Amino acid sequence: MVDIGILLQILFWGIYAGCIYILLATGLNLIFGVMKIVNFAHGEFLMIGAYITATVFIISGINPYVIILVSMLALIGIGAVVERLCFRPILGTSKLNEIFLSIGLIYIFQNGAAMVWGDEWQSVKSPYEGIAIPLGPLNLPLDYIIIMIVTAAILAALFLFLQKTRIGREMRATSQNRKGAMLVGINVERMDILSFGIGCALAAAAGTLWVVSGQVFNPYMGSIPAVKAFAIIILGGLGSIPGAIVGGLLYGIAENGAAYFLGGVWKDAISFIILIIVLVFRPTGLFGESGE
Amino acid sequence: MEQKRDQWTSAATILTVAFALVVPFLSNNLFLLNLLSLMLIFIIFSSAWNLLAYSGQGSLGHAAFFGIGAYASTLIASASGITPYITIFLGAGVAAFIGILIGLTCVRLKEWFLAMVTFGFAIIVQTLTVSILAPMTGGWDGISSPRLLSPSIAGYQIIEYYSILLITIAAIVAIWYIMRSRLGLAFSAIRENELEARASGIDPVRYRLIAFALSAYIAGIAGALQIHHIGYITPEIYSVDLSFWPVTYVIFGGLGTLAGPIVGTVVLTIIWEGLKMAGITFARYVIIGVLLIMVIIFLPKGLVSLPERIREWRDERAKKAGPDTTGK
Repeated sequence: MVDIGILLQILFWGIYAGCIYILLATGLNLIFGVMKIVNFAHGEFLMIGAYITATVFIISGINPYVIILVSMLALIGIGAVVERLCFRPILGTSKLNEIFLSIGLIYIFQNGAAMVWGDEWQSVKSPYEGIAIPLGPLNLPLDYIIIMIVTAAILAALFLFLQKTRIGREMRATSQNRKGAMLVGINVERMDILSFGIGCALAAAAGTLWVVSGQVFNPYMGSIPAVKAFAIIILGGLGSIPGAIVGGLLYGIAENGAAYFLGGVWKDAISFIILIIVLVFRPTGLFGESGE
Repeated sequence: MEQKRDQWTSAATILTVAFALVVPFLSNNLFLLNLLSLMLIFIIFSSAWNLLAYSGQGSLGHAAFFGIGAYASTLIASASGITPYITIFLGAGVAAFIGILIGLTCVRLKEWFLAMVTFGFAIIVQTLTVSILAPMTGGWDGISSPRLLSPSIAGYQIIEYYSILLITIAAIVAIWYIMRSRLGLAFSAIRENELEARASGIDPVRYRLIAFALSAYIAGIAGALQIHHIGYITPEIYSVDLSFWPVTYVIFGGLGTLAGPIVGTVVLTIIWEGLKMAGITFARYVIIGVLLIMVIIFLPKGLVSLPERIREWRDERAKKAGPDTTGK
């Protein structure tokens, strides 16, 4: 029999891994909602966020959890530029163009980062490394707990922004009906840039959390988490933010369970097997309302 | 006008083939010969991807078929001792079979969903190769693969080059034939408008599966050829990079055209190798990425549409200069 403590531990790791996926997936969902595009290069923003965090941390020595603000702000800027230069010109053309364009972005960001920071695996030590809080049979690293709290705080802030502010309401209006939003005088192109920037900032937050949790990173690390995040929004239903949260948690748990029971090589493959099973039986996702 | 363009196309085709035929006589540089062989293999691979895209399905995991063809051919050739010249086509058969299985899960999916699932399949196949199938495939270390020709044969590189050239031409002629046949017509009908295609009696699921099988078969041939050319195979063959290259080549050259994959592969290989000679490493990818995005935005039909675009620009400019001078 498997020890219940181990199961709980896997659950805990899964939730932690899920936090990073949720941030990525929520960002993708936000962008998809407003612009109806999917950026396969989304993971590259996570990677850039990770490198910015590490660089600022090594130079300044500030608490890395504070640097999350720096990386998020930087990525809002980078995201806005990418949206303006790359995605806006192809908006409304063939859907496949987004995929092809993302491949170009992946080439640029991955190898641009390799030029600046080198292509070796790196890692950074968090100031709270080694501190763990025992809870019954579990041993909970403090970093993981902070990451969960930070993720929850970011999601809450996003929720408040979308529900309570004027810009947030305009953004939701654009995502519900682009033409209608135009008619009532919303500048939809501004919404595009803004949603893309916020989506990238969420990816940057995921990157910062990736780094502070002590995980290794290199310029090519972004692809797989991004594809998983995309799988999550398919699981949860395109455009559904609660779907992204539930999907992200399920994904993180399934992945860590598979890595424990089947061996580490299955970690990436298992998530795609789940995705394919879901797509075969429920092409609109678990929470999706209508097919695209 | 149409006839003139046809003449140009045939002239370009003849010149290209003639050039490919005489290259070994122009230079006995083995590095160049090897480079050209690999380029030909990638022409087959991109053309295979292009055929699938022709039916409206953009795959991001074509390395799966490339790799399955290579592994299957290697294992058959090593176990039975049959010459790779035959096992290439058997291995590709395995790739086509898996292609149909993957196709079955994909036929109802579109765009991103299809891209995702195919991307995932390449990772699943790689994982299977290094875990359950490791006793056969050698896991991450890989296994050696029988060479296309034994290196003891005098001038084997040149014979190998011609063999690859022959298979490449055969593959392109086959794809040309498919695109022109009723099958190709059905593919483009599904791509353009599935509802109308269905209304005129085309079963989209069936034709999508056929496209998957054909594309996987041709990609499998390319993979097997490459591995028998190199003589060694590792699970790196399923890498994301290998899935992205045919996409890049085809988009660069021109999606959905016969010449697109060829032009794209040749031009990008020249740029790629030129930059390598200039000592540029990581920046090569950055340059390719920028070029790719520029082509998508400014030249959506790829390099093959460049002459047409230039003519358009010139006409436009002439029109601006004075409406009476164009003679139209």
